[in-house]
Amino acid sequence: MDVPTSEILTRNLNKTRHNEVSLNAFNFLFSEMIQYSQQRVSGTVQELEKKLSDFGYRVGIRVVELLNWREKNGKREIKILQNLYFIHTNVWKMLFGKQADSLEKHTEKEDEYMISDNEPIITKYISVPKDYHSLACGAFLAGIVEAILDGAQLPAKVEAFANPQEGFPTKTTIVINFDQSVIDREKLFQ
Amino acid sequence: MPGTYYFVIVGTKDNPIYEAEFTPQVNELNDGSPMKEDQKHLSQFIIHTALDIVDELMWCYKESYLKVVDKFNKWYISAYVTSNGMRLMLLHDVTNPEGIKNFFTDVHELYIKVLMNPFYEINSPITSKAFDAKVQLLKKKYLL
Amino acid sequence: MSVSTNQRIGEDIWKLKTERINAELFTLTYGSIVTQLIKDYEDYNEVNKQLEKMGYNIGCRLIEDFLAKTNIPRCKNFKETSEVISKIGFKIFLNIVPNVANWSPDEKEFSLIFEENPLTEFVELPEDAMDLWYSNILCGVIRGALELVQMQVECEFVSCVLHGDDVSEIRVKLIRILEEEVPAGED
Repeated sequence: MDVPTSEILTRNLNKTRHNEVSLNAFNFLFSEMIQYSQQRVSGTVQELEKKLSDFGYRVGIRVVELLNWREKNGKREIKILQNLYFIHTNVWKMLFGKQADSLEKHTEKEDEYMISDNEPIITKYISVPKDYHSLACGAFLAGIVEAILDGAQLPAKVEAFANPQEGFPTKTTIVINFDQSVIDREKLFQ
Repeated sequence: MPGTYYFVIVGTKDNPIYEAEFTPQVNELNDGSPMKEDQKHLSQFIIHTALDIVDELMWCYKESYLKVVDKFNKWYISAYVTSNGMRLMLLHDVTNPEGIKNFFTDVHELYIKVLMNPFYEINSPITSKAFDAKVQLLKKKYLL
Repeated sequence: MSVSTNQRIGEDIWKLKTERINAELFTLTYGSIVTQLIKDYEDYNEVNKQLEKMGYNIGCRLIEDFLAKTNIPRCKNFKETSEVISKIGFKIFLNIVPNVANWSPDEKEFSLIFEENPLTEFVELPEDAMDLWYSNILCGVIRGALELVQMQVECEFVSCVLHGDDVSEIRVKLIRILEEEVPAGED
């Protein structure tokens, strides 16, 4: 009897680790993704954001497994802060070649954290109207982050905001609000 | 029947996405035929109960491999948690911590390869026959 | 211009003038797009068309970037075009160099043969998806880019490793050379 085979099951997970394509190629593709989403969504801005966030979600859910497997040697992060740090550092480095620019905790709200990227590389050369590309970039990044947190069983509401600063007109901040159950459990298992 | 294993990957909604049973190939009473239905139901029940324990232990240890998490009569239940919250659960009647760890680790790697395929949706059943064949090979390598 | 010159130009631009990004992000994002199209259209032939259309849009914009970076003179014939597409075009955008092969006797048709393709890393088609040309966006890119340099081409996949074929092959067919014209009201 023939043993069923599969190309993907025999490939090495480290094979494409350091491969690169041009940023332009990615930006062109990203731009098409935005335009496609705009055409498909007839309703509100929220619907458009949801659609774009779904694109990112499918990326994130894969990245979390692949990157943990490569870098954590049989371990996973179990604390909120360590997970966020993993995203801010490891995930950003893998995907965007640099770590994110800040990771902050809200001073009053105990469930709220923020990750910021001063110059998101994914929309660097995008030529669609400005309001759309910051929205799209943010939604895509938020989708990635949400997927990774979901993977870690830390469900949260994740939203992105354009947060332009002097010298950083495209700065994007991702705001993460964890479910109360996550906060409670973290206290319980301290 | 020593050396009998029941293996299942449980998704984040407590749904099994893959299951396999490994019975010894040669045995006086059993020539490798599948588990009896009632035995299978019992296995599923034991594993389901052990999931609750895994869901606590996974917040105490960073290691994916949680070792033996529960025992029921002569059965041990070993568990392993992936970074996507997939729980690899193995019911066994002989202890073999190193073999089981290697088995889990290699199945985890296979799972990631399945997941990387854009056509695979998280939490959906793994139906690939090639995946099944690979898992059976890993069983031979590490478990029996 | 000789083949090796094109190769050198491609490599130099890739090394010196190209900002890059992780190929896995590109691969996964493309996969995410394809699966969304399949969800939306539920028809692989329609997905092929949509991917081609996206590619066409990309090709139309990419050629500008290509011309600015390469600064090479206009190709004298279709053979030269094929070499430039392969050794410079694919090199500086995707860091791959597909082989040019299978010329038709009238030199109006050739194939691009892909030994590697970042779009299909990790991918395995479900058994019912054999109508899908997963990387069809590439056909659109070639068609769009060439149209803006006055070459109307037809471009399609004739084999794909994801279908179990030995290689992935795109057939490019020159239909006609378009008249030079400056489109009215072009930005």
